[in-house]
Amino acid sequence: MLLEPFMRQCRCRPEAPALRENGLRLSYGELLARSQFIAAALQGLGFMPGQRVAIHLDRGVQAVAAVFGVLLAGGCYVPLDLKNPPARLAFIIKDAEVSTVLGLGADPDWLEGVAWLDVERLPSKEFATVEVRSTDLAVILYTSGSTGCPKGVALSHGAVAAFAEWAADLLGLAGGEPIASSAPFFFDLSTFDLYSVLGRGACLHFVPSGLTLSPSRLSAWLQEQAIAGWYTVPTLLAFLAYKGNLAQTPLADLRFLIFAGEVFPSPALVDLAESLSATRLYNFFGPTETNVCCHWPVDRQCLDPSQAIPIGWPAAGCELHVHEENGELWVRGPGLASGYWSGGRLQEILNREGWYPTGDRVSRNERGEYLFHGRLGRMLKCSGYRVEPAEIEAALHALPGVKGCVVVGLNDPTAGQRPALVLALEPGLDLGEVRQFLQRRLPAYMQPCRWQLVEELPRLPNGKTDYQAINSLLEVS
Amino acid sequence: MKAALKKFIFAELIYHEAPDRFGEDDDLLEAGLDSMGIMRLIMFAEKEFGVTLPDTEIEPDNVRSLNALEKWIQQARSA
Repeated sequence: MLLEPFMRQCRCRPEAPALRENGLRLSYGELLARSQFIAAALQGLGFMPGQRVAIHLDRGVQAVAAVFGVLLAGGCYVPLDLKNPPARLAFIIKDAEVSTVLGLGADPDWLEGVAWLDVERLPSKEFATVEVRSTDLAVILYTSGSTGCPKGVALSHGAVAAFAEWAADLLGLAGGEPIASSAPFFFDLSTFDLYSVLGRGACLHFVPSGLTLSPSRLSAWLQEQAIAGWYTVPTLLAFLAYKGNLAQTPLADLRFLIFAGEVFPSPALVDLAESLSATRLYNFFGPTETNVCCHWPVDRQCLDPSQAIPIGWPAAGCELHVHEENGELWVRGPGLASGYWSGGRLQEILNREGWYPTGDRVSRNERGEYLFHGRLGRMLKCSGYRVEPAEIEAALHALPGVKGCVVVGLNDPTAGQRPALVLALEPGLDLGEVRQFLQRRLPAYMQPCRWQLVEELPRLPNGKTDYQAINSLLEVS
Repeated sequence: MKAALKKFIFAELIYHEAPDRFGEDDDLLEAGLDSMGIMRLIMFAEKEFGVTLPDTEIEPDNVRSLNALEKWIQQARSA
């Protein structure tokens, strides 16, 4: 169902270009054939619709075919972050109860008890069409969990399609347009590339990974590929505005840029808006549970380097509500996640009133636009990644000799926030061992930027953690 | 200059390496220096050392190690 618009493109214009990755080009017809080949191989192994398949591939042509193959077989894909430590990947594989992992080459050491399929060495089988309903799960995106373990946000075909169709209409995507793609598939940004772009007959050009380290090469590439649009993170756009040689590289074909995932620092956005004066800019906003629930088409008249930009207006058919008591943003609409995947069933995310409480604090300005003011709970946003302090704390508590620990966020002008740690250790355990332990358990963006050792954790008279004391410990260190 | 760069990098950009064991030719990109880190590093270097680092010279090879960084910044200074 989510792939219906893509299938329509395949029927109408099978020769049109769909994917470009370095020298590799794939037409819509070729992508469909490759996806069906993968779907058929899964079916040949006895795969049943509704089962989950993990994608152990970097973003690119192979990964698109694998994702589409899983969907064509009626399955739900679980995209993995290959940079995660093996322990975290193994947890996700187990938690999602995947039947198969699609990857390249030999199976990794940490994988146990789950079938591994090398996408380049698949048996040739007959593909049988599978009907899917809009409520069937399409993808589970794992994010940091407040209970101490990664948490799977389960999105249905209908939910992803609601966003993809809305975004494709908003941007007026047209057949044949070259659209840049840099979002890893485990980020919800990728649903725009996969389903909006490929649902409208445009062509995805994968940004070569090394280019993100060299903004002038990146702008030269965007120019040479005649890129018309790109949905990415503020960091890359800020880097482009700062050192992208845009005075010599005007990017005349670039119709639109969309950014999401973190707050775009206003001074950098002002620079970008000035350098690319003819490009439409959009701020998308929403936790993974809503995909995108707010959007602000950047109004250059309203840009002020000293003021944060709004998150704007409701998006993708969402209804928004600001809770009277604490200013929390509540959302309902067709794009909401079906729930959290937990032990083979879906855990409800809606409150009693039928809304999803986002945990984001918002208000409205005099124009009626929504403004974002940060989080209500403990969740941190570090370089675009969600980080739950409880997940870092739980990882540390698993190490014998850790008496106690508390993680808080430190504000950072570019990364948003960074986790910082106060911990108490039993005699005999040294900090180096703790650091090494945490490196094996958690990805780089979850590693604390400050480590403050104390004899005892500061507590309030009622026994609860004294966060004020924790913060002052980290400020003076 | 190298000491100032090292101090900034390990205080602000890379947290999961032990700085005392990190050599001047060791690979910063492998240690986790990413595009955001490079941007902040360039902002820091331009301010700290009073230099303008040209857009077209921002390449992985110029920021790969402490030695490469120092060489690059010094060249830009004398240019």
